[in-house]
Amino acid sequence: MTLLEVSGVSVTFDGFRAINNLSIAIGEPELRAVIGPNGAGKTTFMDIVTGKTRPDTGRVLWGELSVDLVKMSESQIAKAGIGRKFQKPTVFEDQTVRANLSMALKNKRGPFAVLAWKATAADNQRIVELADEVGLTERLEHRAGDLSHGQKQWLEIGMLLAQDPRLLLVDEPAAGMTPAEREHTTDLLKRAAQTRAVVVIEHDMEFIRRLDCRVTVLHEGSVLAEGSLDHVTKNQQVIDVYLGR
Amino acid sequence: MTMETTAAPQAATPNRSFLRDNPSVMWFIGLLGVFTVIVTVLSEGMGAGVISTNLVKILGMTLCLCLIAIAMDVVWGYCGILSLGHFAFFGLGGYAIGMWLMYARTEIVIRDNLAQGAIPATEQEVAEAVASQIFGVVGSSDLPLIWTFAGSLPAQLALVVLVPGLLALLFGWLAFRSRVTGVYLSILTQAMTLALSLYLFQNDTGLRGNNGLSGLQNIPGALDVPQAIISVWFFWASAVALGLGYLLFAWVVSGKFGSVIRAIRDNEARVRFLGYNVDGYKLFVFTITAVVAGIAGALYYPQAGIINPAEIAPIASIYLAVWVAIGGRGRLYGAVIGAAFVSLLSSWLTGGGAPNVDLGLFRIVWTDWWLVLLGLGFVAVTLFFPKGIGGLFDYLVRKKP
Amino acid sequence: MLGHATAQDASGSPLQDVLQTVQADVANPSRSTVPAVLGALLAADAPGTVDFLRAWSDREVYERPDDGLFFYARAAGDDLTLIDIDNGAEIATVGTRDVNQIRPNAGVRREIGAALVAFELTHPDPDRRIAALDAAARSPEPDQIAAIQAARATETDPAIADRMDRLIALLVARFDQDSATRIAAIEALRGDVSTPARSVLNQLLQTRADFAPTLPEDVNVALVKTPGEEITLAAAYEVLVAAGLAPAAPGRNAIRDALRANVVDGAVGGVPVHQLDNDASRIVAYQALQDAGTLPPLVTEADVAEAVAQYVFFDVYLEPDAAVTAAAAAAQAATTTKVALFQFLSLSFDALSLASIFFLAAIGLAITFGVMRVINMAHGEFIMMGAYTGYVVQTIIPNYTASLAVALPLAFAVTFLAGVVMERLVIRHLYTRPLETLLATFGISIALQQLAKNIFGTQARPLTAPDWLAGAIQINDLVSVAAVRVGIFVMAGLFLLLLLYILNRTRLGLEVRAVTQNPGMAASMGINPDRINMLTFGLGSGIAGVAGVAIGLVAQVTSEMGANYIVQSFMTVVVGGVGSVFGTLAGAALIGSLQKGIEWFNPTNTLAAQTYMVLFIILFIQFRPKGIVALKGRAAGD
Repeated sequence: MTLLEVSGVSVTFDGFRAINNLSIAIGEPELRAVIGPNGAGKTTFMDIVTGKTRPDTGRVLWGELSVDLVKMSESQIAKAGIGRKFQKPTVFEDQTVRANLSMALKNKRGPFAVLAWKATAADNQRIVELADEVGLTERLEHRAGDLSHGQKQWLEIGMLLAQDPRLLLVDEPAAGMTPAEREHTTDLLKRAAQTRAVVVIEHDMEFIRRLDCRVTVLHEGSVLAEGSLDHVTKNQQVIDVYLGR
Repeated sequence: MTMETTAAPQAATPNRSFLRDNPSVMWFIGLLGVFTVIVTVLSEGMGAGVISTNLVKILGMTLCLCLIAIAMDVVWGYCGILSLGHFAFFGLGGYAIGMWLMYARTEIVIRDNLAQGAIPATEQEVAEAVASQIFGVVGSSDLPLIWTFAGSLPAQLALVVLVPGLLALLFGWLAFRSRVTGVYLSILTQAMTLALSLYLFQNDTGLRGNNGLSGLQNIPGALDVPQAIISVWFFWASAVALGLGYLLFAWVVSGKFGSVIRAIRDNEARVRFLGYNVDGYKLFVFTITAVVAGIAGALYYPQAGIINPAEIAPIASIYLAVWVAIGGRGRLYGAVIGAAFVSLLSSWLTGGGAPNVDLGLFRIVWTDWWLVLLGLGFVAVTLFFPKGIGGLFDYLVRKKP
Repeated sequence: MLGHATAQDASGSPLQDVLQTVQADVANPSRSTVPAVLGALLAADAPGTVDFLRAWSDREVYERPDDGLFFYARAAGDDLTLIDIDNGAEIATVGTRDVNQIRPNAGVRREIGAALVAFELTHPDPDRRIAALDAAARSPEPDQIAAIQAARATETDPAIADRMDRLIALLVARFDQDSATRIAAIEALRGDVSTPARSVLNQLLQTRADFAPTLPEDVNVALVKTPGEEITLAAAYEVLVAAGLAPAAPGRNAIRDALRANVVDGAVGGVPVHQLDNDASRIVAYQALQDAGTLPPLVTEADVAEAVAQYVFFDVYLEPDAAVTAAAAAAQAATTTKVALFQFLSLSFDALSLASIFFLAAIGLAITFGVMRVINMAHGEFIMMGAYTGYVVQTIIPNYTASLAVALPLAFAVTFLAGVVMERLVIRHLYTRPLETLLATFGISIALQQLAKNIFGTQARPLTAPDWLAGAIQINDLVSVAAVRVGIFVMAGLFLLLLLYILNRTRLGLEVRAVTQNPGMAASMGINPDRINMLTFGLGSGIAGVAGVAIGLVAQVTSEMGANYIVQSFMTVVVGGVGSVFGTLAGAALIGSLQKGIEWFNPTNTLAAQTYMVLFIILFIQFRPKGIVALKGRAAGD
């Protein structure tokens, strides 16, 4: 079934058309890779889905009730079950890994609920599990700012999983990772995609090949081709604008 | 803006008690208690008389300034909102209690006077005499609408909390809703403060224009009690308020709520993507600190004896930020140290207490040069010691095993 | 002028000499002799003749019977001090019986007045003719009409002739005997916004309040006032009380005083004193005394209504002719519209002037805050520094024009330097921490303010505009603009052009835009961002200094003057739209006209205007957070 349906969306920045009548549908569960040249609108697509950018036209429908995300705020969208990992790792460097994960945990988000919040045994259990999953068990009480670049990537993925979203939007997760870490990331994403929708933006073709999923190619703000990796890489247009050579 | 360290240890191992997690709170409350006992024992009114009544008042007022400083620290140091409006809330609290003090005391005096007449006064005559006594100075004899509850202590006490709280709620809602952040928000809060002080400066807005409210040190119902005693009472009240305020804010900023607001300070957008309603959190912090600021003001001005619109001018709120910055942001005791240190130093130097320095060719008169020193010192702190005095404190504590 | 020559004789008392030639007719004037005397005196035109004639007419001239000489006099106790009519010297103090006060009768006085007006109105010196016209316009009299008409016949100066025509029209409208002539003259005043014309219409429409049992037929009624609507019941009753037609109603205080005066054995009228703490029981007590006949009766509301109902209250025009007042009212209505238009024009000029000041104060910020995104709380102190530079230059160079010419570039240089130093020492280290920049520059601001106070004192220092900027440009009686404000407007315009030129047409401007948009990229293309930041900041600060000189010309130069502008300046930039010079212009125009507009509704209270303006700005930012001229897209994101 379709979890997210983007239809006819356009966005203009000072005359520059970043997204042009874009339509994409993501099912649940599904693993989807989005590729395309720089400026194709990949990140802007995520900005629109998560409410950071308001489209000029078009609709972004979500879930069984087909609510329009365009009218919702970032936090409402996040609460509705869409999690996002940014291209540049953004964790709260001033706080411990535990605090970072704890904030992301799927709990009540209102100020008063948070003020009264006390970690339950289940919460602590979950934090330990997540830390284990992303390999940060040893560093739970350390400041996130002291982590290496790769560890920050992991922490952010951990925070994403802690939110337990129905749709994960992951922007270049493998950047700055060692080959072993990449493999781990691939596994993690594939496992996550068994129960939920995962959209990955990546430039690394090898990484995408390993994801082994449906691929959408964006170009100049709209979908150029869609299908299996083999299918799209044979597409002449895709070769011209993106793969080159 | 990134803060590198925070004093309060984070919820390291969960499910321990709040106080055990935050030993600094116990230290602070203990020191405050000891200080209160010492001042009481040495006071003119209740003890050895080493500390003059005037000094007791200054110390009590300083405690109130420390209270608003920790409120400022929470809103700025923890939540990242550089509010240049909190002194306005402080002043509003002072005005709210000042109205009762002035009205009730004038009423007592007027009733005494009218009782001298051959026949007793009617309620209306009393009210009119009180109004013309209070407002004669601005050429009016009618009691403005906002003084409707001035005769009732509970009502005015409620206003001490409600007026700053509701104003902060309204202003914060408007500002946060439209995503005004950073320096824009600072300027906007400054504009709010400016508008409020200009409003109060007008004679016809019902708060006696630039005359302000005066004689606030005389407490109705305790008019026979000497100021030496009253000053100690207010000192106690200020100390209790500071202690409770410290406890409240230490509790608020520890734990997950503290995590979230510090996260908002460091990367607001990211917190939104985690599903937190950032505007609601900011509004909560802005409003609760405004309420505490109002309470601090309500305790401060009876000790100062007078309040006028100049107290609310934008510059006062900037000084508040200066104290917190010098004391060290992001740690509550830092704000206390900053407020106490700078305000006491300021009254010592500008009050003529400090000896002038003769450099032969040039003579440093502290009343003239204190602000220059403060200004430049402040620049130096911002540039070289962004963690302020509290940072030094952290450093010393960490050094010890 | 001829007479002037003869007056320079040896005696040193030319006027007295001339007077002595007609001594008897001056001492005992009569209607038949006075024209000849006047002719002789005015023909001689000795110095002081006009003043003498006026004093003569006003019975302020005395004759000493011993020698027949004339004197002015000043009362000295019961005696009089005689004053020489030629040189004003005090001659002697004499008893009132020793001199004769000369008392011309009404006919003579009218002759003197007419002759004086006629003499002045035909005087060869045009300034004296204009002065006489102005005097006549200030205190219009019916008998001036003939004199002015006579003077008009011989007048050659077209401007003065025009003024005479207008004055004649005014006088005719007010004093002519013939109703039709007057109405025609009033019609001619329709739409004339000059002060005399408007005051003539006002005077024609003056009313007095009156009342009568029935509305009289023979008066020109302006308005019938129904009690309770155009006039309150209480006020109408007061009128009756004042006329002795109704008993005064004792107020609450009067009742209390009456009761107080009638306390007997701890009770008043049988009511114990301690119960008299409310109005109801006081009235009971009063009525008891009233029934006993001790006190006059209370006046109830019904009494008031009944008394008032017996009369009609109305306003009556002082002018009896209804046709004239109707014409005047119509003409006034037409004028009022025009007056409102001119007042609006005047207000617009005020707003424009205020907007230019805001623009000047804010334009430096438009660069440092708007383009560089550096918040400089010491900007106001740079304005102050510029103003003090102007003041210091003025104390060295006494010529105001020359000192202004020196002060403007010098102020730029001083504040440019100060800006560069501040950028190098402080701001450079804080580019990534905007809130801390705010605080550090605030620290500099309080230090500079106190420093200025230590150097120049707390007293306001004058910065005087040169004479050619000191006057006002008068457009008509309603609209005038101070020249210095025009100067500031021109200066604001020049700055706008200069800044647009620098930002859009010069290498520096290009590099500034490059550095602010993408510092990394700019650096890699060989632009030195340090140098650009330094120069830009210096430019913004320098402009603040020049603005300081301009603002100092219209405002007081004090150490706190900058602080008065800083919040408004930031508002101007924010409301206009950060990053755009045109935005700052729009912001200044909006804030300036808004403030003047609010002031217009409540002219006595400029504080209220500022309060509401700031509130408006706060609300405005709610709806247009990015200002009037908003930059869109990714570049605008912070």
